[in-house]
Amino acid sequence: MASTSTSEPTHPVVFTTQTPYALPSQKFMIPTSWKRYQLSQLVNKALSLPKPIPFEFLVQGEILRGTLAEWCAEKGVGEEETLEIEYFESVMPPQRMSTLPHEDWVSSISCQLPGYFLTASYDGAIRIFGYSQKLLHTTAPHSAPISSLCIVPEPSRADNSSHLLATASQDLTARLTRIDLSSPSSPKAHTLASLHLHTAPLSSVSASPSGAHILTSSWDGLIGVFDASIPDADEVPADEVAGGERKKRRKVAQEDGSEAPRPKRKAPTTVLKSHTARVSRVVFGPDAKGASAYSCGFDSTVRTWDVENGVCTSTITASSKPFVDIALTANGHTALAASTDRTVSQYDLRAATTSATTPSVATLTHPATPSCIAVARPSASAPAVSTSASEHQLVTGAYDGVVRLWDLRSTRAAVAAFRAWESNAGTGPKKVLSVDWARGLVGVGGEGGVEVWKVGEGDRITTTA
Amino acid sequence: MAAADVERHSKKRKAAPEEEAPAPPPAAFPQDVGLEMGSEDEGEDGGDVSDDGVVDHFPEIDTRSDTEDEDYTEDGEDEPDESEEDEEEDEEDGESSEETSDDDLGIFPKAKTVISDITGQPKRVYPDIEPDYDSDSSTEDTPNRVGDIPMHWYDDLPHVGYDINGKKVLRPARGDELDKFLKTVEDPEAWTSAFDKNLQMDKPLSPEELDIIRRLQQGENPDASYDPYEPTVEWFTGKGKEEIMPLSAAPEPKRRWIPSKWEKQKVMKIVRAIRQGRILPNKPKTASTQPQFYPIWNDEPSSAPAPLPAPKPRLPGHAESYNPPEEYLPTQEEREKWEATEPEDRERDFLPQKYAALRLVPAYDQFIKERFNRQLDLYLAPRVHRVKLQIDPESLIPKLPSPSSLKPFPVYKSLQVAHEGRRVRTVSVSPDGGWVVTGDEGGVLRLWEVMVGKEVKRWTFKSKIGAVEWCPRTDVSFFAVAIEDRIHFLFPPNLPAAILAATQHALSPANLPPPPAVPSPVKWVSVPAAQSSTDAPILSLHLPSSPEPPKQLVWHRKGDYLASVSEGQAGVWMHQVSRRHSQAPFKKIKGAVQLVLFHPSKPHFFVATQRYVRMYNLAEQKLLKTLTPGIRWISSMDVHPSGDHLIVGGYDRKLCWFDLELSDKPYKILRYHSRALRSVHFHPTYPLFASSSDDGSIQVFHARVYNDLMTNPLIVPLKILRGHEVKEGLGVFAVRWVPRQPWLVSAGADGQVSVWCS
Repeated sequence: MASTSTSEPTHPVVFTTQTPYALPSQKFMIPTSWKRYQLSQLVNKALSLPKPIPFEFLVQGEILRGTLAEWCAEKGVGEEETLEIEYFESVMPPQRMSTLPHEDWVSSISCQLPGYFLTASYDGAIRIFGYSQKLLHTTAPHSAPISSLCIVPEPSRADNSSHLLATASQDLTARLTRIDLSSPSSPKAHTLASLHLHTAPLSSVSASPSGAHILTSSWDGLIGVFDASIPDADEVPADEVAGGERKKRRKVAQEDGSEAPRPKRKAPTTVLKSHTARVSRVVFGPDAKGASAYSCGFDSTVRTWDVENGVCTSTITASSKPFVDIALTANGHTALAASTDRTVSQYDLRAATTSATTPSVATLTHPATPSCIAVARPSASAPAVSTSASEHQLVTGAYDGVVRLWDLRSTRAAVAAFRAWESNAGTGPKKVLSVDWARGLVGVGGEGGVEVWKVGEGDRITTTA
Repeated sequence: MAAADVERHSKKRKAAPEEEAPAPPPAAFPQDVGLEMGSEDEGEDGGDVSDDGVVDHFPEIDTRSDTEDEDYTEDGEDEPDESEEDEEEDEEDGESSEETSDDDLGIFPKAKTVISDITGQPKRVYPDIEPDYDSDSSTEDTPNRVGDIPMHWYDDLPHVGYDINGKKVLRPARGDELDKFLKTVEDPEAWTSAFDKNLQMDKPLSPEELDIIRRLQQGENPDASYDPYEPTVEWFTGKGKEEIMPLSAAPEPKRRWIPSKWEKQKVMKIVRAIRQGRILPNKPKTASTQPQFYPIWNDEPSSAPAPLPAPKPRLPGHAESYNPPEEYLPTQEEREKWEATEPEDRERDFLPQKYAALRLVPAYDQFIKERFNRQLDLYLAPRVHRVKLQIDPESLIPKLPSPSSLKPFPVYKSLQVAHEGRRVRTVSVSPDGGWVVTGDEGGVLRLWEVMVGKEVKRWTFKSKIGAVEWCPRTDVSFFAVAIEDRIHFLFPPNLPAAILAATQHALSPANLPPPPAVPSPVKWVSVPAAQSSTDAPILSLHLPSSPEPPKQLVWHRKGDYLASVSEGQAGVWMHQVSRRHSQAPFKKIKGAVQLVLFHPSKPHFFVATQRYVRMYNLAEQKLLKTLTPGIRWISSMDVHPSGDHLIVGGYDRKLCWFDLELSDKPYKILRYHSRALRSVHFHPTYPLFASSSDDGSIQVFHARVYNDLMTNPLIVPLKILRGHEVKEGLGVFAVRWVPRQPWLVSAGADGQVSVWCS
C-alpha cells in the first residue's frame, strides 16, 4: 500500500481467506495502528467490491479486537515476522424478525423444519407456527409441562409433508406425535406412542440423525434408548393406580385426537446408566448412524455413550459444574456444555481423559446462568455445507434474557448479543430457556414466549445463495 | 657548715624515693595515714622525726634558691650575716628602682619579694600579666610569614615573602650607599637600627635589645633580671633553726646490724614446714597455674540482661522550691494535719517552706533518711526488665483458608420467582432437590422447579401459611402445610405410580390403625386414596384452635414424626403419621416455645424457648442439657447433619455455634449481621451453612466438622449474598439449601424467592 511510506511502524502481513473474496497472496505492509475497520476497508478497496462487505480478521486463529500493535504486544510477536491473517465476512448485527406470543413459558423451540417453528410450552402443548407468525396448530400430547422437543428425521419417507415429533415432559413420559403438514393452513397432529421408563421428570429428548433411535434423559439419572418405530400393542402395562391424574390424562388425550387411537406405551430398548445425578441433556453425535451419544448432568460430567451397546465410553469430569445443556459442533469433535457456574465450557471429545478432572479448552463466561446452547446445525437438506465460520460459532441463551453469539476463536467476549424480550421494569429479566439456530434464524424460547431473530452465519448465507 | 648541711640534705632528698618509707620527710605526706611504716627498727626513728613538729614547715623547694645558695657559697663564704641583711635591703631598693624601669621597658616583669601572710616567709610576686594583645609576642604582626629560611632565595624576586593572607610582601625600597650615609647623618636613630633579614629593611632596635648589647659589651650577664647578689636564705643555720635538723649524732642502734631474731624465727618456721613437706617450695606447674591465654573477644557477648538502670527519682516540683509560690505553702491547718498523720500516711514527706534567699536554706534534715530509703527501695524491690511484646496484629487473626479454595458455594442469584409482592415466610425444598414449595402470606402455596423457576402447581388457601415442610422420606413424596389451626398434607403432581401409591397409602391407608387408648384433641381427617388428588389435601390435622397458624413444622429424619409449634399454651405437638396419632410431649414448659428440632440420629429433641435451648431425650423422657446461647430472643435454630453441633440465631443479631459435646456455652458467636437473624440452615451434605437476616443479606459460611473430638470445627465466612430488598424492616425470612447441590433458596419479605447458584 502507498500508505506505508509514512513514518508509522508497519507489519508484514499475508491475507488468506476461504471466502470468494480472495486477495492476491502477496505481502502487505500494514500499519500497526490499524484495526478491523481499516483492514476491512483495505480488502474492500483492493477488491473494489461494488457493495462494501465488512470482514472479520483472524490472526492465528483469534479474532482481532484491537489494533495490530496491541495484538503483537500481547502475543510477543516481533515486527519482522510475517503474520498470516485470515478473514471472513463479519456477522451482521442480529435483527428481530418476528414475535410469537405464548401464554405460558416456552421450554423448547425447533427451527429445523423449513417454514415452520415448533414450540413446546409449559402448558403441555406443542404449537406450530408458520413463518408468517401465524399459529397453525396446537396439540397437547402432555398434561404436564413439556421440557424438550425434537424432530425425528425420517430420511426414508418420501413425502415431506408429515413429520414425527418427540417430546419429553415432566409427566415422566416422552411422546411421539405425528404432525401432518400436507395442508399448510390446517396441520393435523396425533400422538402415536408414549415412551415409558423414567420415574422422574424428563429433561430432554433427542433423535438420531438417521431417525432410528430416540434418547430420553431424566432427573433420575437414566438415559433411555428407544427405537422410533410405533408398536402395535402396549409394551408396558398401564399404571395400576387408578388415580385422578390418569383419568385426566386420558381425557385430555381424547379431547385432542378423538379419532386417533390411544397412544401405544413403548418400552426402552436400552437404558444407559452411569450418571449419578440428574441428566440434563442428551444429544446424538453427528455421525449418520447415531452410534454415539453425549450427555451431561448435574454430577458435573459429560459422558460419551455407545448407544448400541449401552455403555459409557468416556467421561469428562469437571469440578463442581452442574451442566444444564450440551451441544456438539458440526464436526462432532467439540462439546460445549453450559453449567450453572455461569460458564459454557468447551471440551475436546477426542482428548484422552486420563486425569480426574478434564480441563476445558475454552470457557465462555456469562453474567447469568446460561440455560441453552445452539450451534448452526447443518440441516438434513444441505449437510455438506459447513464452513469454518459456522463451525466456530454458537449462540447461548441465559437467564438474564440475553442471547449471545460467540465465536470460539475469540472466547473473551461475545461477538454479538441481543435481548430477547423487552422486559418492563420491576419484573426483572425474562429467562431464555431454549434457542435453536438454523438457516440463519435463531429461535428464542423462554419466559416471554418466542422470538425469531435473524443472525448471519458468516459466509454461509453467501455460499448457499 | 651550712653548705655541707645543704649538701647532705639534698643528698638525703635525692635518696628519698629510693628508700622505701621513712626517707621522705613526713611533712610530704601530711594526710597519708594509711601508709605503713616498713620495718620495726626504723619505725621509731620515723616516729621521732614525725614527732618533731618543726619539720612540718618544710620550705618550698626552689631551684633558684638552690642556685642562689650555691652562688652564695661560691661568691662569698665568709660574708657575715649583716652584709646579707644589707644586701637584702639593697635589693629591695634595687627592685623598687627597677620596678620603675620595668614600666618603661615592659618586657621583663620584675618580681617583688613580699612576706607571705600564710607562711611568714618572703616570697616573690610577679606583676599580673595583662591579657591584652601585646601580652603575647606570638601575636605581633610580622608581615612576612616565610619563616626561618635563607632569604637569598628571594634575592631575584620583587617580593620577600608572603603575609598571613598569602599576599606577596614586596621588597621595600632600599637606598644605595649614599642614602645610607645620608641617613646616618640625618637620622639620629640610624646607628641604633639594624638590618632585619626577614623584612629586608632596617629596623630600629628596641631599648631592651640595646640594653642587651650594652650588657654584652660590658661583660655582664645579658639577662637584665639576673641578680647575682640575692640575699641568702638561712635554712638550717642561724637563730632558732638549730633544732629542726632531722639528723642526730646518736650512734646507730645495734639492732641495725645484728640479724633479727624474729625474722630468724619466722624463716625457721618456714624452713621446718618445707622440711616436713607442708610447703612445697617449687610447686609443679600444672595447667591451672600456668598462665592461660585466650582471645577475650571471641566469646559471645553474654546474653544476661544488662544491669537495670535505677529508676529515676521524681523530679522536684514547685513545692520543693526554696521559694515556692504562696499557694504551695501549707496553711496552719494543713500543717497540723500533716504533723498529725503518720509518716507513712503522709501525702508528701516534707512541708514546703519559703526562704528569702538560697543561702538561708538550711541543710536538708531528711537527706540521710531519704537516701537510705531510696537505697532500700532499689535493693529490696526487685526490678524486672519488662520485655515489650512486639505482636503483629495480623498474626492474631486466625489463619483461615481462602474462600476460593472452599468452592463450591453459592455466589450469585441465578433466578428469582416473584410472589406478587406478598411476604414469603416459608419455603421448603424437596428431598430430591428438584422442587421448591413456598407459602406466602396471601395463602398461596406454590410448587416450582428449582432449576428453571417455573411454577407448576398452585394451591390457594384462605389465610396465611405459617409453615411448609417437605417430608424427608424418599419412597413417598408429600409435604405438610400449616394453615390456621390445620396441618394439611399435600403431594405434588406427576408422581410415578409407585411413589404415588406409597404416598396415598401412607397418608390415607385403607384400613386405619387402631385409635390410641388416650384420645387426643387432634383430629386426623383424610380423603380416601381413590378420591385423593393433588389439588386438595389428602390428610388434614385439626389442632386445637389458636389465633395464629403453627409457626413451625419440623419432620423427624425418618419422616414419620412431625412436630408442630404454635403460639399459646399447648404449643408443641408431635404427630406420628403411621399411627395417625398426635400427642403433646410437654405438659408444661417454662417460657414460650419458639422452635423445636429433632436430632438427626438420636432420639433427642431440641426445644428453644425465648432464651434457652433445652435438649430432651424422648426415649427416656428427661432433660439432657440446657444450652444458654446468651441471646435475648431466639429466632432460628438448626442442627448439623452429624448431630453434634447446633447453630442458633437470634433477633439480637447473634449467631451461636454450639458444640454439643463440648459445653453448654457457645463455641463461637458470630456477629456478622447488622439486623436480626431470621433463619439458619445447614446444608445436608456440603459443609456449608447459611444465615439470613433482616438486613436483606444472606451469609454463607463454610463449616467443616471433624470426626475427632480434639479438632475444633472450622468456620469460615464465605460470601454475603445481597439481592433481597428490605421491606418494612423485614429482610430474608427463610433460607434453605437444595439437597445434593450447593444451591440456596431464600424467601424474602419483598415477595421474591431467589435461587443462588455456585
